[in-house]
Amino acid sequence: MKKRFILYVVLLAMALSVFGGCSSGSEETKLQVTFGEAGWDSMKFHNAVAMYISEVAYDIEVKEVSGTTAVTYGALLSGDIQVFMEIWTENLATYDDDIATGKIRELSINYGDNKQGLYVPRYVIEGDEKRGIEAAAPELKTVEDLKNYSDVFTDPEDTSKGRIYGAISGWEADKVLRSKYTYYGLDESYNYMDPGSDAALSAAISAAYERGEPIVAYYWEPAWLTGKYDLVLLEDAPYDESLYRDGKCAYPSVSVTVCVNSDFYETAPELCEFLSNYKTSSALTSEALSHMQDTGATSEEMVIWFLTTYDELLDQWLPEDKAGLVRESLAS
Amino acid sequence: MPDWITRFPKSLSINIKDPIDKAIDHMVVNWSPFFDVLKTGLRAFLNLIGFLVNLVPWWLLIIAVFALTLRMTRKRHKAVLYSLMLLFIGAIGLWDLMYQTLTIVIASVFISLLIGFPTGILISYGRRADAIVRPILDTMQTMPSFVYLIPAVMLLGLGNVPAVIATTIYAIPPIVRMTSLGIRQVDREVVEAATAFGSTRFQALVKVQIPQALPTIMSGVNQTIMMAIAMVVTCSMIGASGLGSEVVTGINRLESGRGVAAGAAIVILAIIIDRLTQSIFKKDGEAS
Repeated sequence: MKKRFILYVVLLAMALSVFGGCSSGSEETKLQVTFGEAGWDSMKFHNAVAMYISEVAYDIEVKEVSGTTAVTYGALLSGDIQVFMEIWTENLATYDDDIATGKIRELSINYGDNKQGLYVPRYVIEGDEKRGIEAAAPELKTVEDLKNYSDVFTDPEDTSKGRIYGAISGWEADKVLRSKYTYYGLDESYNYMDPGSDAALSAAISAAYERGEPIVAYYWEPAWLTGKYDLVLLEDAPYDESLYRDGKCAYPSVSVTVCVNSDFYETAPELCEFLSNYKTSSALTSEALSHMQDTGATSEEMVIWFLTTYDELLDQWLPEDKAGLVRESLAS
Repeated sequence: MPDWITRFPKSLSINIKDPIDKAIDHMVVNWSPFFDVLKTGLRAFLNLIGFLVNLVPWWLLIIAVFALTLRMTRKRHKAVLYSLMLLFIGAIGLWDLMYQTLTIVIASVFISLLIGFPTGILISYGRRADAIVRPILDTMQTMPSFVYLIPAVMLLGLGNVPAVIATTIYAIPPIVRMTSLGIRQVDREVVEAATAFGSTRFQALVKVQIPQALPTIMSGVNQTIMMAIAMVVTCSMIGASGLGSEVVTGINRLESGRGVAAGAAIVILAIIIDRLTQSIFKKDGEAS
């Protein structure tokens, strides 16, 4: 109830501010922009970067509203949230329709080279001399190869079989992975473990990695986990749209796009131009996230580190004068 | 106006996050022999309980609940109702999952009682022990469970073992509190009488205080069981099997029907166990 109350207050405040922005032509009122935050790390990171630039270069008052994917995306459609820095297009059933009917506008593909699938730590395949770990599964390359190594990834609760840490139930990826599991006959020698939540899945992988134990688990890139640890994605047949749902091939790279509400596009053309140029990559995002995880930096420290390290991005994203403003602020 | 009046001064900030992270990382890497022993022990115990639970075929459980209710409450309509409710769980296809849940609940309750009962007796004696244990119990009950669930996963892996630990942490306080309360409420004169007749402290405890405190202790047991059932869903967030994972899947997939069905099964389980244990304890209370 309290959450909902806060949400209402926020929404009311936002509505009022939009009214204010429309009626007063005065230059004193700052434009207010709300960014949606649907609960995963990479999105929080891109929000932080874009919000920093909006504030410094475009003198905009920024705000971030968090919620589940469904709630925040709904708010983007209705205009309560104006900017979404990451939409995993494959994961939203209505996305294409919403673009077609003009409710939202796709400005840019933030990154498209992401991956998901079954990962194992590199030391499982190649060993690690420094840590004194022997290669437990030297011939392991593809998902199908897992069949030969069920004794390496023993399920502690059922030692006669191996254990695959699956995706989180309810994700599209989980349905596909379960089909894959039966398609390759892994169900005979492995148990499919539902980790229950993504926090639990990351905890299980990172604990296994720290101890140097073998583990095979579903995960995705970019994420701090895949940036921090050296994990190998097991190969699969090349992606084919007709085979994908049955788990017979690899996961496709999903386009992760930057979107804004259509009405907002009209009111803030300058900012939208910046967002149209906003492009990063999986590798960059991963690196930033693991840097954050390692140093425990706050999101502002993080943004400053990121934009100083990858200074050239500013030239790609922004006109000269705006880039100058950001550099000034970074230096201070 | 100086800044430190309106804002909390930065110079006073301390960093407790990093030391905690480091400590947990250190434990993950270096204490693994200890946790392996704990894991293996708990897993064996869980397997044993699971084996015993699965020895009971579905019809026997329903008959047992029917007979037990009839004997305890002497009300035929209740006995019929409870049996029908159990039958309903089977009819909606959740019987096996219910057994998995029961296994975790029974194991956790058993461990809670094993640790909680002696602790309760101990703190009923000393003020100092009480002063130490009470805040710990408060912490266990109010600390949001996800806070210790994730370290539990890192140390013990995903699955039923960390679930038992988390459930035990949550379910142990009532039995400790009620045991200590029950023993303290026993009339001092009764204990004095026992001592006067030559019983040792231990004899007074076992033969006088505990029997006298039994009704209170038993309501502690009942609450412990209920708390354990309340943790079922939370524990599924770290991969515990059973009805809870069905609820979590239902929520994640926006399949309300699935969530409600499993939720209803949990409620039924809780009601039956609650009513049965209560009636047993009432009987015991009257007898003593």
